[in-house]
Amino acid sequence: MMRNLRWGDAVVVALATALVTTSFALGYAPGAGSTHLVVTQAGMDPRHYPLNENRAIRVEGPAGITEIEIQPGRARCLRSPGNQGICEAAGWLERPGDMAVSLPNRLILQVGGVRSDFDSMHY
Amino acid sequence: MREVNTAPVLADRRIAALAALAIGLQVIEAAIPSPVPGIKPGLANVITLVTLVTLGWRAALAVTLLRVVGASLLLGTLLSPGFWLSLTGALAALAVLAPLLPLHPRHLSALGLAVPAAIAHTLGQFLLAWAVIIPHPQLPLLLPPLLLAGLITGVATGILTASVLADPRIQRHVRDPSTNQSG
Repeated sequence: MMRNLRWGDAVVVALATALVTTSFALGYAPGAGSTHLVVTQAGMDPRHYPLNENRAIRVEGPAGITEIEIQPGRARCLRSPGNQGICEAAGWLERPGDMAVSLPNRLILQVGGVRSDFDSMHY
Repeated sequence: MREVNTAPVLADRRIAALAALAIGLQVIEAAIPSPVPGIKPGLANVITLVTLVTLGWRAALAVTLLRVVGASLLLGTLLSPGFWLSLTGALAALAVLAPLLPLHPRHLSALGLAVPAAIAHTLGQFLLAWAVIIPHPQLPLLLPPLLLAGLITGVATGILTASVLADPRIQRHVRDPSTNQSG
């Protein structure tokens, strides 16, 4: 087996390993692919905020004020009037599709990135 | 009236035998439980590679298409998403193998053919899955582990293929690139 190996094999395996490593680095880097935060409030048009700089947003809803903190590549629900802390408990939203919800304020925060038409499809 | 000879020639019999082996391997493999959906050894690719280096890429294409359709008939997945994934992966692997074939055996061993084939198989399947079957923005997160699995299974099938090709009964059919025809 070993004597059948050629120099091209080393090149091929090295390239393949580099591809795998790169895919891990790109795919699992924090904030990869996250471009903006979509803030949707019942009865209003969704608002989009870019995830490229530090920023604080205050959204007023039926139950009070939800404070949203944006940092490069991620966002979170900092304070929200819900007494169970569900919105805050969602933590940092970093990947496209990550979501935090405040029902008392009828508010959905979702990270947007690439096109997303469906949650999933099953056969 | 002109007689058309439809009797199978030796090349047809070889393709049929190799396709039967590949179908058998794929059906057996389908029965092996996999810890992660989408990851499997791809043993049938050993047959594709052996066909490629002994009979050329046209025969490899024939064996691959027969294998995909034949195995899907036995597994009951014909025209299902799994069938299209299988077909896309197999064709993507062949598309990568065709330009690499002239490098075998002087610059690339079977290992150097199997790894790009496995990676291309994974990428082809993934692109089809992402574009058509599950267009979910998070799906690319599955790609790195799948590629890693492709690399590992590619090395494994490459080693298997090399040992099959090293068998003297197979070895005398292996094509030398200096006398290679169009296939």
